Amino acid sequence: MDDAVVDELRAILGDDDRVLPNVSSRASRTRVPAPFPVHRWAEFMPDVAVLPVSAEEVSQVVKLANRLRIPVVPRAGGTGLSDGAVPLRGGICVDVKLMNKIHEIDLEDRTVTVGPGINMLKLNEELRPHGVFYPDDPASYPCSLVGGRIGTGGWSLLGARFGHTRDLVISMQVVLPTGEIVEIGDGGGRKLRKSSTGLTLKQLFTGHQGTLGITTEATLELVPRPELEFSAFFAFDDYMKAYRTTGALTRSGLATLAGVVLFDEWKLRYLRRDDEAYIPQPPWVQAVIAVAMYGTRAEVEPASKRVMELGRAEGGKYLGDEISQGDWASRHDRYATPLHGRNREGQVVPMSWHCEDAALNYSVLPQVREEWHAIVERYIERYGIFDDWGMFCYTNGAFKPWADYLVEIDVGIWEQQLDDETWAGWVACKREIAEVALKYGGSITACHGATREGDADLVPTEMGSAWEVVKRVKRALDPNNVMNPGKQMLDEAYE
Amino acid sequence: MTIFRLGEQRPPEPRRIKEDVVERFEHVFEIDPDLMRTFPQQHLPAWDTHRIVASRWDHLDWMHAHFADDVLSTGLESETMGGHE
Repeated sequence: MDDAVVDELRAILGDDDRVLPNVSSRASRTRVPAPFPVHRWAEFMPDVAVLPVSAEEVSQVVKLANRLRIPVVPRAGGTGLSDGAVPLRGGICVDVKLMNKIHEIDLEDRTVTVGPGINMLKLNEELRPHGVFYPDDPASYPCSLVGGRIGTGGWSLLGARFGHTRDLVISMQVVLPTGEIVEIGDGGGRKLRKSSTGLTLKQLFTGHQGTLGITTEATLELVPRPELEFSAFFAFDDYMKAYRTTGALTRSGLATLAGVVLFDEWKLRYLRRDDEAYIPQPPWVQAVIAVAMYGTRAEVEPASKRVMELGRAEGGKYLGDEISQGDWASRHDRYATPLHGRNREGQVVPMSWHCEDAALNYSVLPQVREEWHAIVERYIERYGIFDDWGMFCYTNGAFKPWADYLVEIDVGIWEQQLDDETWAGWVACKREIAEVALKYGGSITACHGATREGDADLVPTEMGSAWEVVKRVKRALDPNNVMNPGKQMLDEAYE
Repeated sequence: MTIFRLGEQRPPEPRRIKEDVVERFEHVFEIDPDLMRTFPQQHLPAWDTHRIVASRWDHLDWMHAHFADDVLSTGLESETMGGHE
């Protein structure tokens, strides 16, 4: 990047320490936790990183990028499980971590207004004395940031009870790809949950993976802090029994149900190998269900008895309080898990975690599970650097947990062994997994985002007749294709 | 207060509990060293193992308190450890 551009960025931010053209600052803003072609690291580095502290600074940086046709890549926690924050064409990385202030806590209208760089755990520490809670709870809870959650359209462990990120953001301030600062909500009011005025734009600016702008402020939902948590894990000797029990639990109508998670046989095999809670489990344990509830004591206590009945109705065995409570608590923070896998010889090797997700209906879960594992098995045999860590199915519908699921297959990848051939193999594996999701009427991603080669190329297929509308929206808002270019096949908007 | 004695820091010899898992301290499982020939397990003094286990429990307790005022227990033990009925 031309030194003159760096000088201009320094003039905009007025602080040399917040304009970072040095290699270490750029290298550390290159990848995210998802597997990465480490042998091609330099290809994905931004040319410069900036740390703005206001919407006006972000606006000025984006206007500069437009004038000079420089790519802009927004980055918050950099904890994504796809490539939303990975620069594909260099450019300016707009890192929002310093925009981490709480601007307002409104206990009358039950909102909190924050900058995009704040973390949910830190936010909830501040909210606790007020008896309220912001219930967006990803597996990256201690390390992901509000801005990234909005950009990704994140999924929450507690979504069945409280909604997911898009349900919890009431309004936001966004810097558009052309640099204008706009207020986006449900209608005009910053704290209104429902309006019928104009077009509903809020959802358009949630989950766009940084392709339609940068959120610079967000007004979020506050819920009463839960009085009581209840979690229960049940073991089954047969996957189909666990599957039917999952259906019964999610259709139970219990309003405090926050989530139900179904672990399949491959997941049990993996956990029995490497997880202290499952190593001692007997061989007949082939599938597990986790159930969690949050709410008032008056609601959760009686509902817990119904959960215990439903969990055991098809032969499920309770795993006990210690495992149920301990394992559930660990679900809020999966990024702390040391990652290793096994090669074909069974030897332990360091592996990164790839979590391929899809949104799928309940009726197709058993069949998709068989086809996904068969795909991964072929790639394990061929390349020897992958490991099947099993599948989870999580309730996916906000407030409506009964019909569709966030389905994940976790695959370990020995990154140090990656080269062009093995990376191409991995991309092909991802594509096959995504194709199965589409074949069964699903979506290729429920929460991570389709920004990585392998599944991103299928976005037009999934969008179908709506793809033309998507391209027109992108072109209208980002006429110069500067905002996170190369993602989600949106370059087609400019052909 | 825990008193550090150098002579107590060498962990006990492992006891095999499964085909691919060994145990040196109760409920602290380790992968069979035979499966760690490519990347050998580092040697941990006893105090460090105990520290890691204790901090893990602290972390889980902290998470419970963070998300709700109280945790409801059933008072039930595991139903899976006594054999399949």
